[in-house]
Amino acid sequence: MLKRISAIWARGELALAALLAVGVTLLILLNVVTRTAGAAIYWVDEAAIYTMVWMTFLGASAAIASQQQVAITALTDVLPDGLRRVAAKLVDVAVFVFACAMIWFCWRWYMPLAIAEAGFDARAFQGATFNFIYAEPTSTIGIRKWIIWLVMPLFSLGVFIHALAHLLDVSPPAAHAKGAVT
Amino acid sequence: MTPFLFFAKLLLAVPVAITLALTAIWYIWESDNVILYDSFAQRMFSGIESYGLLAIPLFMLTGELMNEGGMTRRLINAARVFVGGFRGGLAYINLLANMFMAAIIGSAAAQIAVMSRAMVPAMEEEGYDRGFAAATTAAGGLLAPVIPPSMLFVIYGVLAQIPIGNMFLAGIVPGLILSACFALVIALIGLRRQFPKGDWMAAREAGSALLYALPALLIPAAIIGGILGGVASPTESAAVASVVAFLLGWIVYRELKPARLFDMFRRTALNASLIIFMIAAANVFGWVIIYEALPQRLAELITTITQNPFVFLLIVNIVLLFVGMLIDGIAAIILVTPILLPIAIDSYGISPYQFGVVISLNLVLGLLTPPVGVGLYIASAMSETPTSRILRALWPFLVAVAGVLILLSYFPVLSTVLID
Repeated sequence: MLKRISAIWARGELALAALLAVGVTLLILLNVVTRTAGAAIYWVDEAAIYTMVWMTFLGASAAIASQQQVAITALTDVLPDGLRRVAAKLVDVAVFVFACAMIWFCWRWYMPLAIAEAGFDARAFQGATFNFIYAEPTSTIGIRKWIIWLVMPLFSLGVFIHALAHLLDVSPPAAHAKGAVT
Repeated sequence: MTPFLFFAKLLLAVPVAITLALTAIWYIWESDNVILYDSFAQRMFSGIESYGLLAIPLFMLTGELMNEGGMTRRLINAARVFVGGFRGGLAYINLLANMFMAAIIGSAAAQIAVMSRAMVPAMEEEGYDRGFAAATTAAGGLLAPVIPPSMLFVIYGVLAQIPIGNMFLAGIVPGLILSACFALVIALIGLRRQFPKGDWMAAREAGSALLYALPALLIPAAIIGGILGGVASPTESAAVASVVAFLLGWIVYRELKPARLFDMFRRTALNASLIIFMIAAANVFGWVIIYEALPQRLAELITTITQNPFVFLLIVNIVLLFVGMLIDGIAAIILVTPILLPIAIDSYGISPYQFGVVISLNLVLGLLTPPVGVGLYIASAMSETPTSRILRALWPFLVAVAGVLILLSYFPVLSTVLID
């Protein structure tokens, strides 16, 4: 069940990441065209960067689901089968710990309970917590930065689902897909 | 405890990015700075809020489009026109085509994959030893990260906070020197082994080969010209190049199916995110480096050994050769740049451009050396040649690279000559 949720979630992440990659390309092209025409649009650069950041975190989470992250396998490749499975499980544990930590960090950062307590009033929230997350503006896009930052909790949740699915999966590990990016 | 955990996780094959993040988390806990946790996610985000990094998905996309668009074959044909008639013609064609490709693709692994499939069978058919054919192709792939555009240079430029366009310029002369050295290696081996003699193309044939390749050659011209002329940033030229590659493959060569476009974007998104995510994680790992003052402590140690920048670079080269054998080049450059670059600049007055070229070429060499020689394995898989057989033919090329590394370390001007 969890495995299926993880797989579906990952497919969604990857599809969205691909769309965002299209978005990055189009935004930069828009920039080239408008700049050549002498009418550069001021918000395109920032929008393109945020699009890329979203693409990155969604793609990175999907890559955790498919175990395609770049890793150093020099040692684990030569381990006998049994030990290799132990090592693989330890990796799952490590990723899971990371996911839990990330969720906790996002919780401390967004303080959902405190903002609800303040009646979703950013000013009262800041006065109570000295956390200015909800006041931070973007430079040129005209929306609050916390909306852009939402990719971090989304990423953390995705990694959590994938890591948990891997952790609880006891079937023999498939051949590890190696990242070749250089 | 922190360093032990760090290496244990790396060797256990925990993903590099996760290792970096977990090490930072542990370190913050151990040093009782938990207030940093509040901004942990934000810092990961801000680590990749960089205009320069936009070039990575765009260059990857251009590579994808090129592969699907039938450009490789045309570029090889064009190379045939220039060097096809020499003894060992096909080996030189391989090298020259690799240079063209390097000016389009920014990734050695991608280039080795494409070129092995295209060149090795052709060379074997004409009577070359398959090991030598695969070795030549794999070595040619090393040009990809040196001749602009280069994924490694983009990442290094972002980490070092220097203009990526300048970093690209720094790679041009070293790339040409490396190509010349490879040509020399081929010539020397050719003399001993009596390579098959190639044929020059008839004028008419040559004309049509060039004509067909001309649009494809527009891509490197646009990328390098745009950056050299200062009219476009590397990011913008990458975007333009991807459009040119798409239109060529689709309309001119008619081999690219628009229906497969979304697949290419999916691969681009995945591969780019693997790299950029590592940079995000490296940014939180930067806390460890800064609070532990790693560069300063290491600098104190190294400056007692030598005051000479050249000797320093030699030491760095030797250490990085081992690092490159174990760690993927991009992961390695993300790990070592924040530690070594401050030492190079502050203690030895080395230009960041020279340093970038030297460590990039060095680390990419690790692609071809076991035990973690991804490039070697790709060449082996694509050409169906055992790695041992490739390695036997590869060593002269590796010696040539080592020679070029020493040359680049000794003469900073080779890297900085084109930068004003």
